[in-house]
Amino acid sequence: MNAEATAALSASSPDWAIDLADVAKTYKGKIEALKGINMRIRQGEVFGLLGPNGAGKSTLVKILMTVIRPTRCKGTMLGQPIGSQSILRRIGYLPEHHRFPSYLTGAQVLDFYAALTEVPRATRKARIPELLELVGMQDWGAVKVSRYSKGMRQRVGIAQALMNDPDIVLLDEPTDGVDPVGRRDIREILAELKRRGKTVFLNSHLLSELEMVCDRVAILVQGQVAKQGTIDELTAGKERYEIELATPTKQPPLAEMLHQLVSTNWEQYGPPKGWHDAGQLRSGEAIRVVNNMVQVHSSDAATIQPIIDQLRAHGAVIKSIRQLRPSLEDLFMAAVGDDGGVGGSKPCNANKKPLAAAPHTAKGDAS
Amino acid sequence: MMTQTVALFVDAYRELNAKKLFWITMLLSGLVVSIYAMIGINEEGITFLWFTLDFLPGNINSEQIPPEILYKGLFMNLGIGIWLTWIATILALISTAGIIPDMIAGGSIEMLLSKPISRTRLFLTKYLTGLLFAGLQVLAFTTASFLVIGIRGNVWEPGLFLAVPLVVCFFSYLYGVCALLGVLTRSTIASLLITLLFWCGLFVMNMGDAILLSFKVQYEVQRDGYTMGIDRSREGATKIITARREKEGNPVPEGFIATDEEMQSVMPWMASTIEYRDEAEETLGKLEPWAKGVYAVKTLVPKTGETIALLERWLISMADLEAITDGDAEEPTIDEESGRINLDDNELQLRTQEAFRERSVLWVLGTSLMFECLVLGGAVFVFARRDN
Ligand SMILES: Nc1ncnc2c1ncn2[C@@H]1O[C@H](COP(=O)(O)OP(=O)(O)OP(=O)(O)O)[C@@H](O)[C@H]1O
Ligand SMILES: [Mg+2]
Repeated sequence: MNAEATAALSASSPDWAIDLADVAKTYKGKIEALKGINMRIRQGEVFGLLGPNGAGKSTLVKILMTVIRPTRCKGTMLGQPIGSQSILRRIGYLPEHHRFPSYLTGAQVLDFYAALTEVPRATRKARIPELLELVGMQDWGAVKVSRYSKGMRQRVGIAQALMNDPDIVLLDEPTDGVDPVGRRDIREILAELKRRGKTVFLNSHLLSELEMVCDRVAILVQGQVAKQGTIDELTAGKERYEIELATPTKQPPLAEMLHQLVSTNWEQYGPPKGWHDAGQLRSGEAIRVVNNMVQVHSSDAATIQPIIDQLRAHGAVIKSIRQLRPSLEDLFMAAVGDDGGVGGSKPCNANKKPLAAAPHTAKGDAS
Repeated sequence: MMTQTVALFVDAYRELNAKKLFWITMLLSGLVVSIYAMIGINEEGITFLWFTLDFLPGNINSEQIPPEILYKGLFMNLGIGIWLTWIATILALISTAGIIPDMIAGGSIEMLLSKPISRTRLFLTKYLTGLLFAGLQVLAFTTASFLVIGIRGNVWEPGLFLAVPLVVCFFSYLYGVCALLGVLTRSTIASLLITLLFWCGLFVMNMGDAILLSFKVQYEVQRDGYTMGIDRSREGATKIITARREKEGNPVPEGFIATDEEMQSVMPWMASTIEYRDEAEETLGKLEPWAKGVYAVKTLVPKTGETIALLERWLISMADLEAITDGDAEEPTIDEESGRINLDDNELQLRTQEAFRERSVLWVLGTSLMFECLVLGGAVFVFARRDN
């Protein structure tokens, strides 16, 4: 991993928007927030960084923005070493829990921070109404930010991050406090940015949202990258089939058949508990029965054919068969080491999931 | 670069403008100026609006104190001395103590540090915003005073505007400390309170210094008076003895000067006078190390009082002062009964003033600004290196 990262650094490939190697940060008081991060973000992609509270996500972004000084850091952003100030002109940033001076109006906030990024006055004038409109705040530009709601502040914050027409946008929990409509708007803005070839780096707890917009994700756990890659890469080989039955699984003879099927290797899982059983097929795949749902962890359709036959032979009426891949949440839980393994939790179809998926607080909170 | 600077100053203006205390202070300034616009002086005495306050003791009138001096005095003692450097300074500190802690508060500092602008520049601009508060206040106040003195006192004294840099300078000593504390504690209240404490400390030290200095001057004047008296008496005694010895047929040798004993034989009270002189000398010797110590400490810290006093030094000359206090300062005389010296109070005050004025501008401003630079340097150092 390390060798690979260094090799990439020396090559300094121009299509890495952000290329980090061995980024570490130890806060005063010996809190090791980051323990050597290697991470690469391609130009033009939407990259999601997730992790439990205190994993070090904000710390990483702050290092990129020169807000805090890294303990160790090798890496570049748009080809320039991290920590150089001149590159900040081409970056948009939305910090978490940002606070704007309460004496400024929304439009003045945009104007002030853009001016600090050295956007010329004429450009600022033209862009303020555009961006206010983009985030749906066109009627609020002349109102003091102290009178905004949390979501409104967040929207202005996002507009502010786009004022300098940045090449990279770093957003630390952009949807924090934003209503569902606003979150959809933000997703659309991100999609639009991507279409325009911008690189977007996103910190979020809303896994389902990240899943919708991100090309690639990294999962950060206790200051280390636990997983990194496209969602497809991360879920490869971890698909599962779900066979939904219209017949109650508790009725014999179906019940006995399932019991037998599931408890083939039950020693490994402990004695079967009622009907919520988990076990292993003879061929090795994990199988689980949850209510009237049979889950088979396999990416091979052939595996489930004999099971279908058996089920039907025992009088089961099959309502649906779906192939599912693990959700980001599943990956997250696995990486964080919380309950269940990959695919161990409830089925999840990303597009059907409600937007307001609760951010998951996991173990290892205060590292 | 230019864009950023303009933006920072526009922001500073907006920040000040949003502070209610800024406008309240302005208003109070107006009040103070109008109060002393109402005070006047004529041949009969001090006036207030249309009334002559002839019940005031001392029978002060426009012949003793020309209106010009009265207004300058009011401006410096009431306007600058009490209002600007006490009340308005406290109000200014209250309203500006939060500028640095607000800037480095979580959530707002990230917004600033993530811009292509150096931390030093950020810090110093915010610091200047605080000084701008003071600057605008003094400027408004001085302009109003300038007009009042011009209209009521019939003198158009541009020198009044020296108050602007001087008061800003004075405020900057305190605000520098406040800014450093803001960076260290991140708390408005803590930095405000500790700054006020620091200021009180300076005040106490200035008091001590002033007391020591006036004592020192008093004993110096005494010693000099006694020495002069003794020298004169010795001359007298020499003459008397010379005359007496001539009469006795025992003429004194060439260049004879009476010794202390011989002098005492003809002027018995001189014994105590010599004693008093020696006492004064001794006390001076004891005061000296203290005065030196306080002076040394004062060299290291900002000289708030003396910075403001520079204005008086420049606006009212020593000659003016002498004219006001007393035209005919008496020579100290030695009482022939007790051998004590009679000192003129006004003379003492003048001499103390003179002693203060002997301290160079370079010492007053230079060492104070040096202190401020160190404090600011420390603040920038801490601000630039800490994780925000
Ligand atoms: N200024 C600081 N001083 C000391 N420790 C800090 C500081 N900021 C963060 N930390 C610590 O660093 C670790 C990482 O914090 P960070 O804010 O980066 O986490 P995060 O992943 O953004 O969490 P969240 O999801 O809650 O936003 C935490 O253990 C936190 O306590
Ligand atoms: Mg965070």
